Amino acid sequence: MGKRELERDGAAGTGMGQPGRGWETPAGWDSRAGEPQRDGTAGPGKRSGPGPSAGGRKQEGSGQGCGEPRRSLLFPFPAEMVVLRAGLCPGLTEDMIQLLRANGIRTVVDFVSSDLEDVAQKCSLSYKALVAVRRVLLAQFSAFPANGADLYEELKSSTAILPTGSPSLDQLLDSGLYTGEVTELMGAPGAGKTQVCLGIAASVSLGLKQHILFLDTTGGFTAARLYQMLQAQTEDEEEQLEALQRVQVERVFNIYEVLRALQELRDRLSQQVVSSMGPLKVVVLDSVSAVIYPLLGGRQSEGLALMMQLSRELKTLAREFSLAVVVTNQVTRDSSSGPLRPALGRSWSFVPSTRVLLESKEGPWERSSTQRAASLAKSPRQPTGIQVELDIGNGDVLEPSLVTPTQGL
Amino acid sequence: MDHSGRRSADTDGCKWDAGKRRDSVRWCFVLLASLEIGISREEALEALQVVRQECHGDTARTPGGSGATRKCTALELLEEEQTQGFIITFCSALDNILGGGVQLTKITEICGAPGVGKTQLCMQLAVDVQIPECFGGVAGEAVFIDTEGSFMVDRVVDIAAACVQHCHLIAEAQQEEDHGKALETFSLENILSHIYYFRCRDYTELLAQVYLLPEFLSEHSKVRLVVIDGIAFPFRHDFEDLALRTRLLNGLAQQLIITANDHRAAVILTNQMTTRIGQSQSTLVPALGESWGHAATVRLIFHWDNTQRLATLYKSPSQKESTIAYDITVSVPVGRDMPSWVTLSPGKDCTQI
Repeated sequence: MGKRELERDGAAGTGMGQPGRGWETPAGWDSRAGEPQRDGTAGPGKRSGPGPSAGGRKQEGSGQGCGEPRRSLLFPFPAEMVVLRAGLCPGLTEDMIQLLRANGIRTVVDFVSSDLEDVAQKCSLSYKALVAVRRVLLAQFSAFPANGADLYEELKSSTAILPTGSPSLDQLLDSGLYTGEVTELMGAPGAGKTQVCLGIAASVSLGLKQHILFLDTTGGFTAARLYQMLQAQTEDEEEQLEALQRVQVERVFNIYEVLRALQELRDRLSQQVVSSMGPLKVVVLDSVSAVIYPLLGGRQSEGLALMMQLSRELKTLAREFSLAVVVTNQVTRDSSSGPLRPALGRSWSFVPSTRVLLESKEGPWERSSTQRAASLAKSPRQPTGIQVELDIGNGDVLEPSLVTPTQGL
Repeated sequence: MDHSGRRSADTDGCKWDAGKRRDSVRWCFVLLASLEIGISREEALEALQVVRQECHGDTARTPGGSGATRKCTALELLEEEQTQGFIITFCSALDNILGGGVQLTKITEICGAPGVGKTQLCMQLAVDVQIPECFGGVAGEAVFIDTEGSFMVDRVVDIAAACVQHCHLIAEAQQEEDHGKALETFSLENILSHIYYFRCRDYTELLAQVYLLPEFLSEHSKVRLVVIDGIAFPFRHDFEDLALRTRLLNGLAQQLIITANDHRAAVILTNQMTTRIGQSQSTLVPALGESWGHAATVRLIFHWDNTQRLATLYKSPSQKESTIAYDITVSVPVGRDMPSWVTLSPGKDCTQI
């Protein structure tokens, strides 16, 4: 059973939206989903040597595959410089390497980028042998052209679509959160960003039985509210508690702590220490602007560098470990009457592949409903500008009037 | 701030001595602030020293409360939330919309026009936080940072006396042992001596005070409430570089949430209102701009509807948005002519125990 199927069953099992309606699959996907094409990296078998090992990926079928770095067809080889060594390719002997090294050619990049005629003369090596070695090295180390069909197969095997717990938001996001991507929620204060994040956490931990890492930078995470949402979805207390345990909360209040937490997560995932965590599917960073704003403005410019570091970290995490990354962002406007625009400027705008703007329709502070409008500001799949209604009051079992003060005096 | 922070990130974070880092963070901050705003470094240092003297020197800080313990599962967090209690406002409707009272470890911002009762509520809370545990309080202490000079001690005396008397009434009615014991120490003098008052005259002092606060709080570990009355006031004039203002304010907000979390304290900020001029009509919005709105976890807006005071919960991660009416009353408990606390127009709730 493909992972997509797996998740879909999970969603159906808890009654979150009817299967096939709450989050429909894009046209044409169903026909091929579920084929046993689990191993996206094996490719057409031309790569060997230091490439990704095909053997380590067998466990993927059990849904535990996120414990392992995924090397996709798009990024076949590590970015590090590979040093020339014997056995790297046929024909490259230890003697040859010694001679090359004496002439300042140490890495594969050095080798393929140097003029082989010169090298042949300086090292007194056979030109023919050098050309042969270069051909092999190029074949091994250049980015491997993948065709669309292979990419599609890989996409099917590695991408999961996670329901957000809100049918209308799922509809906006083309059936839910896609793993491997960064999704951004933006909105003014009180627009419901944290509520949507909590809703996602509740839905994924309860419905899909997956783990969530919630990086809270503003102190907005309220376990009581999450519990309320879980209670609204199931009455089984055991399940509620288990779901709560699957949500890992980390309070990080500056960008250095965020980066450290992400680094730790990456270490943990790449060492396959899944036992303590279980399969992690979603990382929520609420909010990204709270940690970046204190670094921008004024005369210091390193804030921008840190922001880009954070963005790279988030994107690689999402891609390598098939995680759905959700971040929240503030909004600004150019003038007091201008339209709302996401904060953090142009350089951040390339980071999230999907951006959703949350707004309340009524005027400021007369609103008392939980209705919000969510509109798509950027998406790789759906037309932008489409808008849905969103109810952030989901699971609101307690009316304010019914709340009894815990300490009456 | 940035320098020491980056260093810690490079050298794998946790190993870096937390105390050292914080101290250097604070010093660097003031130095950086002084560089950015063009006042001399000496002036900045002087300001810091003034604050330091107020804080009674630089004793060693406890190593606890560093970032190490901030990681947990939602279940642990839920248990923590359920046990930590609230600071009640003595205002049943307000407590209700806040979900029981002012939450510890969160920032609550109160916005409102002048005279609507922001400072009253702050002073009320500074007293309420000290209510002993057996009466349902949190038995804490309060830090009151005042930027506008609106703190009135005689009003606090009134509120405190009324609160003490109220507790005595409860004790009489209930006749429980621990009540009597708790009341021995819950006196007017005690309440007043456990409100630590700081007067900050400009934003440098305010920033330095906030950055020095963790040190003060580790010496006074019972503090459960930090009030900054008038967060907007020092930032609303003398600022040409608005980007810098945003930066400083956001840094301040992050520092406050760190403090709130590490010391299990509630942070209360009061903010002014300003007019946003729209195309067709202008509206009254909280000051300090749009991005500041994200700083507080909970945002309450006090406003007028003709002669009626209204409180609106504008933003909260756990409670629905709602509006209630309240009133500031001069109640006369038991014969004595003494103004009391903020109470709500739909009847006082002091009697429900």
